[in-house]
Amino acid sequence: MKKIFVDYRKCVACKSCETACAVAHHPGGSLFALVGDSRTQVNVRVLGVEHEAFPVSCRHCDPAACLSACPAGAISRDPETGAVVQTPEKCQACAMCAMVCPFDAISFKHTHQALPGREVAYKCDLCHERLIRGEEPACVQACHTGALVFQESEPQREKRAAASLKVYLLGEGGEPPLFSMYRELRRRAFARRRMEKP
Amino acid sequence: MGTRPDHRSVDPAAAAMLKISDREGFDTAWMRLEAQQPQCGYGQLGTCCRNCSMGPCRIDPLEEGPRRGVCGANADTMVARNLARMAAAGASAHSDHGRKVALLLKEVASGRNTDYTIINPDKLLAVAGRLGIPTEGRDVPSVAGDVADAAIACFGAQSEETIPFATAYMPQKRQELLKSLEGTLAELTGARIGLMPRGIDREVVDIMHRTHFGCDADPLSLVAQTLRCSFGDGWGGSLIATECQDILFGSPTVRTIKANLGVLDPEMVNVLVHGHEPVLSEKVVEWARSPEMAEAAKAVGAKGVNVAGLCCTGNEILMRQGVNVAGNLLHSELAIMTGAVEAMVVDVQCIMPSLADLSSCFHTRFITTSEQTNIPGALHIQFEEHDANAIAKRIIQTAIEAYPGRNAAKVYIPQETEEAMVGFSVEQVLAALGGTPDPLVEVIANGTIKGVVGIVGCNNAKVQQDFFHLSLTRELLKRDILVLGTGCWAIAAAKAGLMNLGAQQLAGPGLKAVCEQLGIPPVLHMGSCVDCSRMLVLTGALADHLGVDTAALPVVGSAPEWTTEKAVAIGSYFVGSGLPVHLWPVPPILGSPAVTKILTESAKDLFGGYFFVEEDPAATADRMESIIMEKRVGLGLEKEETCSK
Repeated sequence: MKKIFVDYRKCVACKSCETACAVAHHPGGSLFALVGDSRTQVNVRVLGVEHEAFPVSCRHCDPAACLSACPAGAISRDPETGAVVQTPEKCQACAMCAMVCPFDAISFKHTHQALPGREVAYKCDLCHERLIRGEEPACVQACHTGALVFQESEPQREKRAAASLKVYLLGEGGEPPLFSMYRELRRRAFARRRMEKP
Repeated sequence: MGTRPDHRSVDPAAAAMLKISDREGFDTAWMRLEAQQPQCGYGQLGTCCRNCSMGPCRIDPLEEGPRRGVCGANADTMVARNLARMAAAGASAHSDHGRKVALLLKEVASGRNTDYTIINPDKLLAVAGRLGIPTEGRDVPSVAGDVADAAIACFGAQSEETIPFATAYMPQKRQELLKSLEGTLAELTGARIGLMPRGIDREVVDIMHRTHFGCDADPLSLVAQTLRCSFGDGWGGSLIATECQDILFGSPTVRTIKANLGVLDPEMVNVLVHGHEPVLSEKVVEWARSPEMAEAAKAVGAKGVNVAGLCCTGNEILMRQGVNVAGNLLHSELAIMTGAVEAMVVDVQCIMPSLADLSSCFHTRFITTSEQTNIPGALHIQFEEHDANAIAKRIIQTAIEAYPGRNAAKVYIPQETEEAMVGFSVEQVLAALGGTPDPLVEVIANGTIKGVVGIVGCNNAKVQQDFFHLSLTRELLKRDILVLGTGCWAIAAAKAGLMNLGAQQLAGPGLKAVCEQLGIPPVLHMGSCVDCSRMLVLTGALADHLGVDTAALPVVGSAPEWTTEKAVAIGSYFVGSGLPVHLWPVPPILGSPAVTKILTESAKDLFGGYFFVEEDPAATADRMESIIMEKRVGLGLEKEETCSK
């Protein structure tokens, strides 16, 4: 099964993933339709953790704690894509799923998928409908820096291991020097703001 | 109320106010900065282009994603274009300020405006002399009219000639160097790449044109135009602002003022003037001090009217009128939180829109006055130069009317103030030296003072308020380096007591001795941020006196805690004028290796000046000292070994 892999060091916090996700999950299907719409659903959030940025979304665990915990049977696994998906009509917003989620990837609001007037749990659905059409998840497609990639885990692991070893063994590859400098200066600026030693 | 240091500010008055702010849940710049995290890396690297509707385009700094925008622009082009536009905006702000003062001078000279007069005919004659305008046997208004015409003409000039203010003020050697560089660049590239400013407005329009879709893509010519436009600011718009203001309102003279929030008076109607232009605030001060307004204040139970400044409007009126200053940029919200401000009167630039909402939590009247600064939630009292007295009076009356609404339970004024000796215009610096730069040149030549560093303002919520300003200044003093500067840096130094005579004790032995002998502090307040022109003029005077180019002087510039696009223009005209300039935070250029190299390395070969970035104040001071020593060796003041040490 393919998964969304996150390389946070490549994330520049542009939040293109957030916008693309919102558009992909909006009934209007366009950026301009979702502006000012409080029911817009964004399933990935770029969180700032000091100087680092991390796009957080559902990891589609297997086994999934949320799936086991849901008393309403509103969470299931899509057999074709392996995505953990919700059925908003069944959701009772009891928040058991959110409590057991190790990644805090589940939020609640009155989304477009919810029954009228109901708040429901919502999270990343791995764009499983797009996957069936042969497309990538919207966030991955929107990411220009390669911070988000959608791949089988084994080839991805091998590729990353080889890239790291290339830096370690041959001293080549790695980040462009000015980007490394930018990351380092950003780290120091945050450390100072927190009155830590830079 | 505790005054423990706070991670947001080193100023104890700020720390006290932030404690209140945290308790009451007021929205501040610091909170909004946290809420903005994480901020977009494309913006910080300069590789986001929104100049056409095929975009926005972004270039992947990791070189894995797209390397060109839809039009084909690469990271170098985008960064250079964005930087040029920043300088254009900054130069516009400064120069438009200068335009208004020049227009006012014209109105006063022609007698159409009688609300203002020419306070300083001596300066008028000096400026006229520089510009080659005849003064013999002529009356003040007719000379003033000619000076105003010459200034106004610099804005809209259409010829290929350099604007008269730049030719009259820029040191001869620098002009020759820039002209010969134009020739060198033409030989190297085959293209005409100009550096001397042809028209203040024109160079801004040139940038907007060449950064429009499908024009200049070459980082070198874009950077050259960035400098040219910035010269139009430093040796044009800003200089015109300074000179015309000195003519109309008087040249600053040395005087002592108080700085920090403690200047607010619990028993008086407090009026804060904030922004940049002195044209209105001069009148506000005049009316606040009038017996009529004092009576009106007493009628509502106050002891009188107390005016204090913020930011560069504060700098303008402290330099000329000796008005106390309440603080710099990041003090503007904190001042309102004291609950003791009846009116905050603002003109243009650096006025955070948040002030309107914050004022609504208090009885404070937040008064906008400029057609260029309208803020929802503010009370707008339109300022008109021709009716200045009536409008200033109305503003003070509005403040007095607000006084009965003050809620004593919400009032807390931190008691911190420091005395500061201010008002060091070039004229006053020379007067302190006995009329010529000789004594300064002598103490620099014999090594008593190693060199001079000019620092310019801003606060930036990303840097602990005043931390970099003060740490860097103290480090430089220890190293026998004279520090002078403008803007929000100057207010930071004043608040911290670095501008009173006691600060001589913080200086190294050489600098201390010189300051004691002259009776001046080791840190000199040269005015508002447009008054960076004073630093250029002083640098030029030193260079001319020594018969060398400005780049040979042991002088370095810095903009720590910089925030605004104006700082980009200032930094650029200093670099183009031959001075190495330190910046922190990092400007949005790291996305382009070519632009980074031009600004930090190639510029040194071409102009003598260049940018460098450093985030630690002590390391910055070390770097500045080594640059100064390198220049001293160049001038033959030191032997090679001293430098390498």
